[in-house]
Amino acid sequence: MTSSMAFFSSTTPTNLPSFSPSSKTHFPINPLLSLKPQRQVFGSVRATENGSGAAVVVEEKKDSTEEGNGAPVKADVAELGAKFEDPKWVSGTWDLKQFQKDGATDWDAVIDAEVKRRKWLEDNPESSNNDFPVVFDTSIIPWWAWMKRFHLPEAELLNGRAAMVGFFMAYFVDSLTGVGLVDQMGNFFCKTLLFVAVAGVLLIRKNEDIDNLKKLIDETTFYDKQWQATWQDEKKE
Amino acid sequence: MASITLKSFIGLRQSSLENHHSTITLPSKPLQYLRHNIIASKSSPKITGRNLRVAVIGGGPAGGAAAETLAKGGVETILIERKMDNAKPCGGAIPLCMVGEFDLPLDIIDRRVTKMKMISPSNVAVDIGRTLKPHEYIGMVRREVLDAYLRDRARDAGATIVNGLFVKMDKPFDKYAPYVIHYNAYDGKAGSTGTKMTMEVDAIIGADGANSRVAKSIDAGDYEYAIAFQERIKIPDDKMVYYENLAEMYVGDDVSPDFYGWVFPKCDHVAVGTGTVTHKPDIKKFQLATRLRARDKIQGGKIIRVEAHPIPEHPRPRRLSNRVALVGDAAGYVTKCSGEGIYFAAKSGRMCAEAIVAGSENGTRMVDESDLRNYLQKWDKTYWPTYKVLDILQKVFYRSNPAREAFVEMCADEYVQKMTFDSYLYKTVVPGNPLDDLKLAVNTIGSLVRANALRNEMAKI
Repeated sequence: MTSSMAFFSSTTPTNLPSFSPSSKTHFPINPLLSLKPQRQVFGSVRATENGSGAAVVVEEKKDSTEEGNGAPVKADVAELGAKFEDPKWVSGTWDLKQFQKDGATDWDAVIDAEVKRRKWLEDNPESSNNDFPVVFDTSIIPWWAWMKRFHLPEAELLNGRAAMVGFFMAYFVDSLTGVGLVDQMGNFFCKTLLFVAVAGVLLIRKNEDIDNLKKLIDETTFYDKQWQATWQDEKKE
Repeated sequence: MASITLKSFIGLRQSSLENHHSTITLPSKPLQYLRHNIIASKSSPKITGRNLRVAVIGGGPAGGAAAETLAKGGVETILIERKMDNAKPCGGAIPLCMVGEFDLPLDIIDRRVTKMKMISPSNVAVDIGRTLKPHEYIGMVRREVLDAYLRDRARDAGATIVNGLFVKMDKPFDKYAPYVIHYNAYDGKAGSTGTKMTMEVDAIIGADGANSRVAKSIDAGDYEYAIAFQERIKIPDDKMVYYENLAEMYVGDDVSPDFYGWVFPKCDHVAVGTGTVTHKPDIKKFQLATRLRARDKIQGGKIIRVEAHPIPEHPRPRRLSNRVALVGDAAGYVTKCSGEGIYFAAKSGRMCAEAIVAGSENGTRMVDESDLRNYLQKWDKTYWPTYKVLDILQKVFYRSNPAREAFVEMCADEYVQKMTFDSYLYKTVVPGNPLDDLKLAVNTIGSLVRANALRNEMAKI
């Protein structure tokens, strides 16, 4: 009965550090390497909670008096990278005055700076601090800056594809049926083909998109099916 | 949209092919029930000489609420709970409506959370709760206190509370023959294996949680589950002031790939935890990351307890079989996105009990499966929109870091805050102003596009 749920055995060597009361030391993300096991004192481990297995409760008493967090931690501070720092990052947001180019704000540079910041934080997650809140909102960058940088190149690509497909399809249909471009547009079947071509160019941009779209469609209804499963029983009876 | 032909859904158990057309359910429409006629069991025999007997297995919020409603309705009820003082690992948050609907005394609530902070992967922090009215809050409770209170109320209403462990049930061969339940009665003696007892009952409500034995007995099937891991940390008093009535939610790939990390205030300490469905072996790593993100606010804290528990992700394929019904976590009634289960457990227990009381005409007639199906139908109809909306939110906003950044950006908007809290506190999906909804949709798409564009640039570095 307890088998499936007993994920955490009561003898898990979890080296859970108590937090240093000293000033802000930067704990490494993986303190298991630096903290020696013998610093932990395991209190009574209650196994009776394992009755039906769901929760394992481990009570730990920390000995924070003896061999405090002094020596080992100081060594770690040197190892660990610093917080994100940038002269243009002021009070939790980008200081737009420092991004001026020819009298106007260089939005591309702001976007680049934010990209670097996010990449840094993804690799080195930081503690969120109330004294230094991050208040940057990407919506301060105007819509046309986003358009110019991200939408327009993609739009050029897609329009190019659509134009190539369109030209060759028009030529192909004309050579097979003799119907010219203007007359093709009046035909329902051709209009459908045109619609399919445009939708295809828009939706399928990479090879993986075909699978992704199929998975997306399944995903939208999967939860509904899980809920309706109990009603299928009833239909059989 | 071009028409989509869905493969006919065979069901999540191996069953023979049925000729059954699944309706394409749009998120806004409720589930379509296919030609289901509910015949109240006017044809069931009247019971002579005694009342209907129902066993409720499990004494958590679901079991306690069910037992109370049954007892009040004149049904002979027995509630079997294996550990009376069980301090269950749990977030412990209950919505405002639960206090009113279940007449909970205010001293059960340790803390009233009126502010929440959402923190994005790049540490953008947004405060939500500005739109809450003075009387609105999220209640934080201790499970042992809440569960005991509901059980005591059930006992006062006339239910028999037994300290024991349900072992198995013998299914009846006749249509109205009783079930025989086998359980080990502990009688308050800890550590003993208890005395084997049996009992005949007419119906069983399985409220025994995520590892439900009742569910196993009726071949209810399995569900996917998340593992929620949490550490209770006692932090210094000056740091505790910050968490007086504030809870935090951390999102990011470092904290959880498909859920969130949290810091919830409890009676005199905070609970710091995280959860995941898809990357369970890495849960310790996620927990360390959560502690790192909250480090400055919980510095100097001592870990006093470590606990973990499963959270169902969706209902079991079969929630009902003949005269046995599942409620609460046993049925899998935990919402996505927020992982909320206490209110839904209690409500489903109550709803199931109400269906039994109504179908048995206050305990005078036998019940049969159609009476219990009433409960399922009412439940699905009432709460399906809530579950579906939360599912969509989870699918859209917990997908990736850019989606989470967009999520936190959206939460800064007051309209979003109002909608979110209204639907959370009162458990109804409120339509809202269409113009504001349109603006919200545009802003959401904008946020998602921006965040994804930044992410694509990040990949190039």
